[in-house]
Amino acid sequence: MSGSSGEGTPHLDVEELEQAEELVEQHLPKAEGALGVAEGPQRRGGWITALWAAPGFGFLGFYLIAPLVFIVLVSFWTYQVGAKSGFVTDWTFSNYTEVFKDRVYWDNMWSSFYRSLIAVAACLVFGFPIAYFLALKVNSLRNQIALFVLALAPFWTSSLTRSVAWTFPLMGREGALNQLLSKIGLSSIDDPLIEPLSETSVTLAMIQLYILFMVTPLFFTLSQVDRTALEAASDLGGNWWRTFREVILPQTMPGVVIGSIFVFVLTMGEYGTVRLVGGNAVSSVGTIVNSRVELAVQYPQGAASAVLLVLALIAGVFVITRFSNLREEL
Amino acid sequence: MAEEPVGRPSEGAASAAPSTPPGSDGLDLIDVTKVFPGGTVAVEDFYLHVDHGEYVVLLGPSGCGKTTTLRMIGGHEFPTRGDILLDGESLVHLPPHKRPTTTVFQHFALFPHRSVLQNVEFGLKMHGMPKEQRRRRAMESLEMVGLEPLADRKPRQLSGGQQQRVALARVLVTNPKALLLDEPLGDLDRLLQLRMRVELRNLQRQLGLMFVHVTHNQEEALSMADRIVVMNDARIQQIGEPLAVATRPETELVARFMGDNNIIEGLVASREGDRLIVENGIVRASVVAPGDARAVGDKASVAVRAAAVELDRNGSGPGDVNSADCEIVFVEYLGDLVKLHLTAGGDRMLAKVPGEQYASLRGREGETLRIRWKEEDVRLLR
Repeated sequence: MSGSSGEGTPHLDVEELEQAEELVEQHLPKAEGALGVAEGPQRRGGWITALWAAPGFGFLGFYLIAPLVFIVLVSFWTYQVGAKSGFVTDWTFSNYTEVFKDRVYWDNMWSSFYRSLIAVAACLVFGFPIAYFLALKVNSLRNQIALFVLALAPFWTSSLTRSVAWTFPLMGREGALNQLLSKIGLSSIDDPLIEPLSETSVTLAMIQLYILFMVTPLFFTLSQVDRTALEAASDLGGNWWRTFREVILPQTMPGVVIGSIFVFVLTMGEYGTVRLVGGNAVSSVGTIVNSRVELAVQYPQGAASAVLLVLALIAGVFVITRFSNLREEL
Repeated sequence: MAEEPVGRPSEGAASAAPSTPPGSDGLDLIDVTKVFPGGTVAVEDFYLHVDHGEYVVLLGPSGCGKTTTLRMIGGHEFPTRGDILLDGESLVHLPPHKRPTTTVFQHFALFPHRSVLQNVEFGLKMHGMPKEQRRRRAMESLEMVGLEPLADRKPRQLSGGQQQRVALARVLVTNPKALLLDEPLGDLDRLLQLRMRVELRNLQRQLGLMFVHVTHNQEEALSMADRIVVMNDARIQQIGEPLAVATRPETELVARFMGDNNIIEGLVASREGDRLIVENGIVRASVVAPGDARAVGDKASVAVRAAAVELDRNGSGPGDVNSADCEIVFVEYLGDLVKLHLTAGGDRMLAKVPGEQYASLRGREGETLRIRWKEEDVRLLR
């Protein structure tokens, strides 16, 4: 293995191998042709695929795109007391200027974002070992699926039930969590670590509610990792950490990105959990939008705040996708 | 060096006994046994010595324990009992990344997200070599396998043979003391396999490196190995040079696994000194077996290679020792040779004769034919 490839340097006689490979490859197309494999479905494929996709597009168009377009329209219309639905279709930008000036809205945007960030980070930190264990340490596919379904068990109950369980039974002043914490001496019931109806309890509830949206994509990408490649890495001198860092993590980035998008989008727009677990003590962009619409019946301004939230989400998702080239790696 | 190692089983693994005692240069497996949780015995009483620069092939049917043995050398499995030494130092308690061995895995096990160059330099990176230096070394290694123009490709953009060569470059760049190959040619097309056998063997000779190669392919083992270790059912059946394994099988399993052997199972009919006559009621074969303790009436099996069988066209009258009257069941023409499927009183026999004889054998199924063989081609099986 010394410098130049002069005589005596070990090498493979590559030319012969290339010739052999070429021969093999030349014969492949013929074989495939004979088996009818190579006959391209590409030409007619476009129309048939479009036909298959049509119901899905129809559904998305009616239930997702149309309402979104409508909300954007409403956000540019004028608020008027007494008018039908509370607005007239005169174009205006004032809804946005109102929202831009609104300190409460931006405070909530920031706190929701911050809460989402913590939730994403916590879901990653707690979710990764679960997914890692399921995908790489459990050996049989049957056990993997059984344990995965078990992990999904909390999702068999409605999210409302779970949220209610979080408020007083679990995270109330004398709830299970505080009792446990006081038992092990981390806090006392009189001075609990987790205040009920607080920022902390909302964040904890969100982590529990959404962690599976992180675990699932992580589990699937980790399952794709070739276990013998991990053995090869350790064979070539990589200890556990280096192997994780250099081989596992790069291959898992698509899962990290997709899971993060899920958790980020779901927690950032959260409304129900914030109301149920946080009561009146905690607010989010979601609750602000809701109060605009429900209490003040200010549809145009509510719509403008909602549009800004969507833009914030799109920006967030864009930033997250920068961490991995999904198109190439999936 | 002549000192006989102690403490190994007298029977079965006797021929497996290494010629040098542990503590010397090279790789030693001493009484290695692997029992999987659940009680499956994968490898049992495994003794082997491999010299530096030697090409050893572990050969056997799937599930015989050959891959488990290789994985124990590499550190991917831990032996239940026994020791594995390299140059006298025990490897057993070292994790794979601390062992001076590297493995070429069956399906290449390349890192899909890394370029060819990054795959090859991985081992050097893990050993903390500075970037410039490891790039240069990796390129040299790629040059050796003729892949430097593809250094920036991803593995999935390469053909099977190219991936195989990347896997080779990736392990060779780390300068291992022993290279372990797990069915390295299994994923290649046959034509490429044949070429790669020669190339791999040449490379090994040039490097002077110890190769331990696992395969289930008899032909591959015969064409590549300095020594073959035939395994079956967790145990070593025979260790020997390709010529010995092919022509002098020691056990019935080896004779059957290497293929194209006539096995005559019977009793010792008579004995004169070292010469035994083994008879199964129809066929009689004589064999010279010094040191064999079997007496008249004991069970004995012998093997005669199909290629050592000749056609006795003038034979008539009562059959002699080392000959048999057979009915032709099927004449199989294989170009270079003709395989005659025969039956002698219900026992299947096989003869391989030169291809030129096909003209005189064609269409003679159902006819009777006398075959004979030489005494020196008869092997007494353990």
